Amino acid sequence: MSKRPARPKGPSLLERLAERPESMEPMADGRIRAQSRRDFLLFGLGAAVAAAGAWWLLPDRTKARILPWAHDRLDTLAARVGLSGSNRERFLNGALSFDDDVAEALYSKDRKVRTYARSETTPLKPNYHGQAPLPEALADWSLELSGLASGRTERLTLASLAALGLPRREQVTRLICVEGWSAVAHWGGYAFADVLGAFPPAEGTRWAALRSDVSRDAQGRPEPYFVSLDLATAQHPQTLLATHLGGAPLPLAHGAPLRLVAPVKLGLKNIKAITQIVFQAEEPRDYWNLRGYSKYDGL
Amino acid sequence: MAAPKPKAPDRMIPIVRKHHALVRLAHWANVPLLFGLIATGLAIYWAAPVFTHAPDPVTGSRDYLADLGFALARVFGDRDSAPSQWVYNHFSLGTGQLAGALRLHWLLAYVFMVNGVLYVVGLIAGGGWRALLPRPSDLPDALAMIRYYLGVVPHAITRRPWPHPPVRSKYNALQRGAYFTMPLVGALVVLSGWAMHKPAQLGWLERLFVNYDGARIVHFGCMLVLGSFVVPHVLLVIADGFDTFRSMITGWSLRVKGAGHE
Repeated sequence: MSKRPARPKGPSLLERLAERPESMEPMADGRIRAQSRRDFLLFGLGAAVAAAGAWWLLPDRTKARILPWAHDRLDTLAARVGLSGSNRERFLNGALSFDDDVAEALYSKDRKVRTYARSETTPLKPNYHGQAPLPEALADWSLELSGLASGRTERLTLASLAALGLPRREQVTRLICVEGWSAVAHWGGYAFADVLGAFPPAEGTRWAALRSDVSRDAQGRPEPYFVSLDLATAQHPQTLLATHLGGAPLPLAHGAPLRLVAPVKLGLKNIKAITQIVFQAEEPRDYWNLRGYSKYDGL
Repeated sequence: MAAPKPKAPDRMIPIVRKHHALVRLAHWANVPLLFGLIATGLAIYWAAPVFTHAPDPVTGSRDYLADLGFALARVFGDRDSAPSQWVYNHFSLGTGQLAGALRLHWLLAYVFMVNGVLYVVGLIAGGGWRALLPRPSDLPDALAMIRYYLGVVPHAITRRPWPHPPVRSKYNALQRGAYFTMPLVGALVVLSGWAMHKPAQLGWLERLFVNYDGARIVHFGCMLVLGSFVVPHVLLVIADGFDTFRSMITGWSLRVKGAGHE
């Protein structure tokens, strides 16, 4: 490399960043017209494509609101060129899967979420998806584990869980709801990873299907709640099978007697009053995914 | 075959190159993108407003946007008979559509980020970034522009002359301030969005906004800034004339320096 001669004084930073004077250039009249026409046609085409795409992607309820007298006819017209409701669902679910893939790529199994001091806890909304279970439904509660390496189905109670001698864990983490609110809560219980250590899942397990059969819908009728949980999340050091909130046993509204606390997932994965966990190779169904939400829900 | 009609030699007209093609593309793509992001974003916001107060004894409302809805419904009427939802019914996808709004918001957000990159690439490729950089003279020049805008209407009414302050750069100081700020607000809205979307994996980003609600507040504030930029932007382009509008479509202007505001 040749040695650069030292310059006594270069242009100052301001001069180097300075705006250049606008340069004038001659253009033939005909070319101006032709290019102008072409660019305006492109602009109109783009606007039309954007309008058609926007109509296609809007939820049906919104369309019925905006154009109550024409939305049916416009939908029929759109479906003729392939912009149908079923294609929209496929497209949007594809976008959701893309976002899930991004989330999974960002996920690191060793990365811990922020923890807080016990004095920093905030009120936690009891956002049961319906009503909390009835106390009598929990009178003979047990947790059923299946899909284990032993091939057996285990039935655990709080007493038999305690008898395993697993270390008790306490953590103060933020629970974030898909709705947008969040709360810092003090949880106590067992690390899910320790329970997995005591009851190893069968070989080839990639998923845990967690289920609560004591859940109820908003009218109080029985409605099982179920979530899918990838094994990596179950093994995360901050994923708990919690029995305590704020130092006291879980109240009914917050998932008595045993719930999942997975701070790397949205609140809706943090299933309450778990009655069954099945370890399996295939991805299980997920209550909210069936209702149009993401199935990964990683934070 | 008839001989082609002899064509008059084309007149040569001086033009000034204004905006790189990628800048123009990204500029116009922002219109439906921001529209959709705000409409879906407010539908998400509806599920759990971040700006809340103690419940109102009369309306039961805790949400400032619901309060605003009551006021707007009184002024504009409300065919839904749901004044608390007026803002959401008129500026968002509507209430009770969280799942659909989230899917759309994320889809549009990814496109918005790609679009932002295209815009920056266009600014670099076309050298347009130079015209956006703040400079030492901006503060007095901006004040002069504000003074000018405040005086336009009174002087038009009284038919007194009111000359435009001299501008020797591509943009006047107010424009430059706005056009320099918007990409920064765009970056901030993306960062605060990621802080909310992945607060566990991007914990450092969440901390940058103090906490989860901090990111929500910044995200909402950026939305207000981006949304309220549009109004004066469109008004001033209309006031400035067709050449300015056309330059964002074709890329060039027929307004050569000296003929404009000088």
